[in-house]
Amino acid sequence: MSSTRRSVGGTTWSRRRLMGTAAAAGFAAATGGRAARAARPTAQGATEITFWTPGGSPIFCDTHSAVAADYAAVNPDVRVNFQCGTGEGFMERFLGAVAAGNPPEATVLWDTPVSLGVQGALRPLDDLMPTGEYTPVENWPAGVLASCQFGGQTWGLPAAAGTYGIWYNEELFEAKGIPTDRASFPKTWDELRALSKEFTLWEGDRLVQAGMVPFNDPASFAPTLPIWSALNGGQLFDGENQRYTLDAEANVAMLDYFLAWLDDEYRGDFAQLQRSGAWWTYPSDEGQPPEFQAGRLAMVEQGSWVMGDFYAYDEPGFTRWNVASYPVGPGGTSTKSGYWPNWLAIPAGTEHPEEAFGYLDYMSGVGIAKIFTVVPDMPTNAKVEPGVPNIVVERRGQEFGEDVMAFFRGQLDIVIPMWDSPVQSFAQDQITVALEQVFTKQAAPQEALAAAQRACQAELEKVLAGAA
Amino acid sequence: MAMALPARWNRAAGGSLRRREARAGLLFILPWLVALLVFSVYPVLGTFGLSFTDYNVIEAPRWVGLDNFRRMFGADPDFWPAVQNSAFYAAVSVPLRLVMALALALVLNLGVRGIGLYRVIFYLPALVPPVAATIVFMLMFNLDTGPINLALQAVGLAPPDWLRDPAWSKPALIILSLWPLGVEVLVFLAGLKEIPQDLLDAAAIDGATPWRRFLGVTLPLLTPVVLFNLVIGVIYSFQVFVPAIIIGGTTGEPLGSTLMFMVLIYRNAFRYFAMGYAAAQAMVLFVAVAALTLLIFRSARFWVHYEGGDQ
Repeated sequence: MSSTRRSVGGTTWSRRRLMGTAAAAGFAAATGGRAARAARPTAQGATEITFWTPGGSPIFCDTHSAVAADYAAVNPDVRVNFQCGTGEGFMERFLGAVAAGNPPEATVLWDTPVSLGVQGALRPLDDLMPTGEYTPVENWPAGVLASCQFGGQTWGLPAAAGTYGIWYNEELFEAKGIPTDRASFPKTWDELRALSKEFTLWEGDRLVQAGMVPFNDPASFAPTLPIWSALNGGQLFDGENQRYTLDAEANVAMLDYFLAWLDDEYRGDFAQLQRSGAWWTYPSDEGQPPEFQAGRLAMVEQGSWVMGDFYAYDEPGFTRWNVASYPVGPGGTSTKSGYWPNWLAIPAGTEHPEEAFGYLDYMSGVGIAKIFTVVPDMPTNAKVEPGVPNIVVERRGQEFGEDVMAFFRGQLDIVIPMWDSPVQSFAQDQITVALEQVFTKQAAPQEALAAAQRACQAELEKVLAGAA
Repeated sequence: MAMALPARWNRAAGGSLRRREARAGLLFILPWLVALLVFSVYPVLGTFGLSFTDYNVIEAPRWVGLDNFRRMFGADPDFWPAVQNSAFYAAVSVPLRLVMALALALVLNLGVRGIGLYRVIFYLPALVPPVAATIVFMLMFNLDTGPINLALQAVGLAPPDWLRDPAWSKPALIILSLWPLGVEVLVFLAGLKEIPQDLLDAAAIDGATPWRRFLGVTLPLLTPVVLFNLVIGVIYSFQVFVPAIIIGGTTGEPLGSTLMFMVLIYRNAFRYFAMGYAAAQAMVLFVAVAALTLLIFRSARFWVHYEGGDQ
């Protein structure tokens, strides 16, 4: 049983575990905790602004502190009081602070700002964006900025984004005489599936090696399902018209395809597949090691942050990994990609939004470039040249690092709109449940998606009616 | 020579004293009373009020009447499964916890050398943060390498897939609930210490076996303590949250089998920003637990024995 994860520095944060720990410490201990006054003049006359992150590893937080100090050095009128969250109860704390009229001046978000914006928890940034060096609209990839936009307003800045691609083990490919260059990588789902099957190996009822398992865990598959849907010519959420299209023909066909893949290559037994290993890049909750790094999984769908996380656990069982674009589904016409951003936002009710925005502008450019050297979540702003993460240079050399970075930067140009629903979390849960039902064969794709569609559309309409 | 005061003077003096005592008493309990009103009564009333609103924490609540309750009972596909999961968990875990805590307390009541150390050891799990305990248990429940399954295999039993099989995930949660028994054991121990030794001695002289002494003397005299632990256990079990959300996430994996009622409330409040709806669910939980507690107290007259016959 694994889950969707993001990593900062050497520490892996599972979305679900984040929720769990948030629950444990945040909810069980209630939402007490009074935030310090967010912005106030300091003794030296500088305006102090509080800047939050939901959590992060020591190196992530230390680098944020360094960025704050750098900013103060060039902007003596503003002092940034950086507060690194513990990952516990962030959303409760954040909402509580906004509701109490005592929010931080600015914050990093790991959940879409659209949901929070619709609920009135954030300040729209459109009036401030043209004033920044990095923040004008034209400096952001449109597909990525869409994750912040709703109702004609922009609720956050997608300063960094892990861009998705298909990672593969060149050494396993070579052992089978398969070309390892990116251009030779499968271009269609059928080719991908055929290639995957070449690597898959069973010993009795145990899967000892797998080609690719895109559906390895419903909770981690749900966030990237919009990409697969787009690859098959579909869409899960129509942001322009504010409606869900989960049970559209292309999506049902997509799940039918994956179900056939499960049946054909993995004996149709989802539980057995999961029992056999953690078929991606992170350990399972039960401590199974990540099979991609162990060299037992040939290909895996993952974000660019794995450039760092590849080395975050036991020493990997192989050296040469590479990344390729997503193959196209039977109903699709061209490859697509997706992303998972770190958003920057200004809560509603802050006292010094201009000063806060000044810092966000700095973070969008200089700050995020500095953070990128240790935490490989890609800067998205067009004016930022991110370089290559230190760890990739150390392990694979500058030339390879530059090639991979160019690939991920290119992926930013073909990302589809994601994270743009006002009921993102609700929908993600519904999709997770639908996927779990489909792969455990408790429900047919049409039936499961129709149930999720009904629930999501009803919730969306309720929220939109409340926001109107 | 003392002069007798008229009766009405005595009454007046007594009344004044009682008033002074009452005032002093009130002053002494005032801090607790204020805390009760501010931190318990007000939130409960506030939750009750919010349960009739659409409220997202940030914007002002909007009155929706009984809509939240209609949705809960009629349209929310997760409501009844969560009720069933929580009820199952409570129905199994509470008696199990009681039996195990009592058994442990009986063992820890023995006057053997180093018993103090044993008592400390058995209390320690109550101090472990639930998040840490849950993560450790998840590793222990590992299908192949977890010590629980290794032990089962060693005695020839087929190891279940605790955390992936919906038939076994709730039992896994229940087993996890048996880990921190320290508080219940402590209460039982205190109760055991209150049992008069002469009663046990008299029974022994009359030829009662240890088991007979337990059934005939210890257990009846311990029933007030059982009642206490039962009530607390029922309340606690319906509020199971941390292990459930860590093991099953917000969707109650696998297949909704670990979706407990508190997880439902949590995700509505803090994940979906539906604070009004979550408040309605919290009120339903409050009423259900209160009704169960009342039922237990009503039943107490039939099975709880108080020394001196005071019910």
